[in-house]
Amino acid sequence: MADFNIRSDSVNVEQIMEQIRTRIREKRGVDYTEQQISELAAVKMEKFLDARGVRSDLLDEFRRLRPASDAPTRPRYEFHDETLFETHRGPIRFMRRLLRPVLKLFFNPNPLIQVLHIQSQLNDLEVQAEASRRAREQLTFEVMHNLVLEATRMGIEVKNLKMRVESLSGRLEFNERRARLLESAVVYKGMEPTTEPVVQQPAATGRREYESRPVEPRPPADYRPRPEAVADARAPFAPQTAPGGQPAGPDGPGQRSRRRRRRRGRRGGASAASVMGSASMPNAGPTPAQADGQASGDQPTGQTVEPPSSTEAREPADAAGDPDPNAQ
Amino acid sequence: MKLAIVVQRYGPTINGGAELHARYIAEHLARHADVEVLTTCATDYVTWRNELPTGVERVNGVPVRRFKVKHQRDPRVFGKLSDRVFGERHSLADELDWLDAEGPTSPALIDHLMKQGDSYDYCFFFSYRYYHSFYGARAVPARAILVPTAERDAAIGLHLFAPVFRGVRALMYNSHEERAMIHAVSGNQQVPGVVVGVGSDVPQNPQPGRFRQKYDIRGPFAIYVGRIDQNKGCPELFDFFQRYAKEPTGRLSLVLVGHSLLPVPEHPRIRHLGFLDDADKFDGLAAADLLIMPSYFESLSMVALEAWALGKPVLANAKCEVLKGQCVRSNAGLYYERYAEFAETLHAIEHNRWLSGSLGRNGRQYFQNNYDWRVIERKYLDMLAQLKAAPARHTMEPLPGRSERRHDDLAAAEEVLNRLPKAGDQDRRRA
Repeated sequence: MADFNIRSDSVNVEQIMEQIRTRIREKRGVDYTEQQISELAAVKMEKFLDARGVRSDLLDEFRRLRPASDAPTRPRYEFHDETLFETHRGPIRFMRRLLRPVLKLFFNPNPLIQVLHIQSQLNDLEVQAEASRRAREQLTFEVMHNLVLEATRMGIEVKNLKMRVESLSGRLEFNERRARLLESAVVYKGMEPTTEPVVQQPAATGRREYESRPVEPRPPADYRPRPEAVADARAPFAPQTAPGGQPAGPDGPGQRSRRRRRRRGRRGGASAASVMGSASMPNAGPTPAQADGQASGDQPTGQTVEPPSSTEAREPADAAGDPDPNAQ
Repeated sequence: MKLAIVVQRYGPTINGGAELHARYIAEHLARHADVEVLTTCATDYVTWRNELPTGVERVNGVPVRRFKVKHQRDPRVFGKLSDRVFGERHSLADELDWLDAEGPTSPALIDHLMKQGDSYDYCFFFSYRYYHSFYGARAVPARAILVPTAERDAAIGLHLFAPVFRGVRALMYNSHEERAMIHAVSGNQQVPGVVVGVGSDVPQNPQPGRFRQKYDIRGPFAIYVGRIDQNKGCPELFDFFQRYAKEPTGRLSLVLVGHSLLPVPEHPRIRHLGFLDDADKFDGLAAADLLIMPSYFESLSMVALEAWALGKPVLANAKCEVLKGQCVRSNAGLYYERYAEFAETLHAIEHNRWLSGSLGRNGRQYFQNNYDWRVIERKYLDMLAQLKAAPARHTMEPLPGRSERRHDDLAAAEEVLNRLPKAGDQDRRRA
C-alpha cells in the first residue's frame, strides 16, 4: 500500500477522503459495486467485452423470447370407455345403458373411444414435457445470467490488469535502464584513478581525424610498445567528441558486439589487474581478446591496429577506462 | 421547575442508546430542576416483559416511577405488521396496530400523564417510535418536548409520526442529519428545535496499560464497542477486517467489546472480550489506536463521542449519514463505503501517526466544544427558557375518525423513506 501524504498543516477529512479515493482509482481502476456490475452487464456490455463473442443484448433477447407468463394450464381430459355415456343424472344414465346395444347397431363407437383415449395420454405427455422444458429453460437462464455477469466482471478485471501490466512494464523498463546506467557508472568510476589524461595528439591513421583521447589506461611498466604502434594503437580509442564535449558518432551492430565481448571479458575472463592494466602486474597474461586475436591468427597483441571504432568514441567512459587489449 | 423524563426502559444496567441518553440527561438536569422519570417495568427491549416492580424508586438520586406493560411483544404479529406497513400500501389503522404490537404498550403510563400531566412543567419524551412517546405527547402536547433519536430506517416513513413531530413544543435533535430528515418527512420547521446530542462521563485518567495487561493484548489494535449484531454492520466489518489482515502492511488487531448476537469469526487477530463495565470500556478505548463504527443506522453514536473525548480517531461507515456527517464536521474521523476505502483509510490511520494524532486532537476539541456536559445542559436550559418565554402557538393534530383510519391509502414506509433526500443529495445540490 502506498504511503499517505498530507501537505497541509490542518486536517481536512473531506480532502483526505478525496485523496484516498483518487489513490484507490489509480491503484485499482474503477471499483464497481455489485449493482453497478449488474447494470453494466445489462446495458453496456459491449464496452467491456468483445462484441463479436457475446451479444450485449443477450439477456434482454432471452427474456423477450421467453413467454411472459408460466405455461398455460391445459385442461386435463381423461378419457375412458364409459366417458361417452357418463352423466350425473341417474335416469338418463339408465336409459343410455339400456339403449347402448341399439346404438351399436348404427355405428361402432369403440375406435372413437380408443382414439380419444390415446389423445388424452398424449396430452398428458405433452404437459409433462412442457413442464420439464420450462424448468430447463429456467436453469439455462440462470446459467446464462451468471455467465454474462461473470464475463462482465472478468472484462473489467482484465482491463484493470492490463493497466497494471502496462504500468509494471514501464517501471521495469525504467529500472533496467537505471540499473545499466548505474552499473556502468560504478565500474568506470572505480577505474578513474588508474587512468591519466594523455597529451592530445593528431591522428596517425589518416582514415579519420580524431581530436584527442582524454584518458587512457596505463600500460604495464615493462611494456614498451614500438613507437609506430603507439601512435596507431592510440588512434582507435581516441573518442570522437561532439563540440559540447559529448561523444558522437553512429553505433554499428558489430561494434556493439565487440563492446559486449570486452565487458564479458572484464567480468569473467580476465583478472582485475589485467583488465585495469595495472602497473603492479607486469606479467599479466593476455586477455581473452588477446587470446582471441592470437588464435585467429591476427597480429600479436600490442601490435594489432584496428580501424578506429566510433563506439568507443561515443562512450567517454569506455574511451577513458576501457583497457581494450587490442590497443596494447 | 418540575420535569418528567419519559422513556421506554430505565435503569443503571440498561445500556441501550436512547435509554442511556435519557438517564444521563435526567441525572444532569436534576442539578437544575426537579426531575422525575416515568418508565415501564420492562428491561428487555425485545419482549418488554415486566421484570421490575411498579411504583417509585430512586436511581442515582433521581426518582423513577414505573408502570406495567400491558402485553409482551408477539414477534410473529409484529413481524407481519411490519411487513405490511413498511412494504405495502396500508391504512392508519395498520400503523396504529403496528405501534401497539411494537410495544412497550403501557396505558397506565399514558393515564398517569393524562391525570398528572399538569404537575410537570415539561415532559421530555425519548425515542419517537415507541408507544409512550406517541400517546404521551398526545396526552400533554403543550408540555411535550421530543428527543426523537431517529435513525434513517423505515419507521420514520410511517405517517402516524408526522403530526407528533409537528405538534410537540420542541425537539432536541441528536444531529444535523436527524433534524434535516425529520424536517423533510414532517415539515415541522416551525417547531423550535436544537441539535444537542448527549455528553458522556469520560474519566480523566484512563489506564490503557491496565487494560492491555488485564486482557493480554499486545500491539496496535482497533476497537469496536457495541452490540455485535447484523444491524450494526458487524458482518461487513468482519469481512473487511479479515481481508485487511491479509495485507502485508497491516499489523492491527480488532478487539470487540459488547454482547454478541452473531458468531465472531475465529481469527488470530480478532478478539471478542464480551460486555465490559465502563472503566474497562474507557481503558480499552484509551488503549486502542482507533475506534471502528461499522453501523448503518445511528442517530448519535455515543461511543464515537467517547472515543473522540479520549483523543482517538474514528473510522465510520459512510452509509450512516450521521456518522459521516460527524466525521466531516469534527475533522476527527475517516469513513468508508466499500473494502477499498476501508483498507486505505485504516492503513492511513495505522501508519500515519501525524494523521491519527491530528484526528484525535480534533476529536477531543470537537467533543469539548459540542458535547461537554456544560454545553449540553446549557442547551437544554436555554430551550426550556425559550419555551417558557413564548406560549405554545400550535396544537397537535387529532387522529382521524375510526372509519377514516381504515382507508388503505398510505404509501409503504420504505417508499417514503426512499423519497427522503439524503445528505449526499444536499451536498450535490450545494455543489
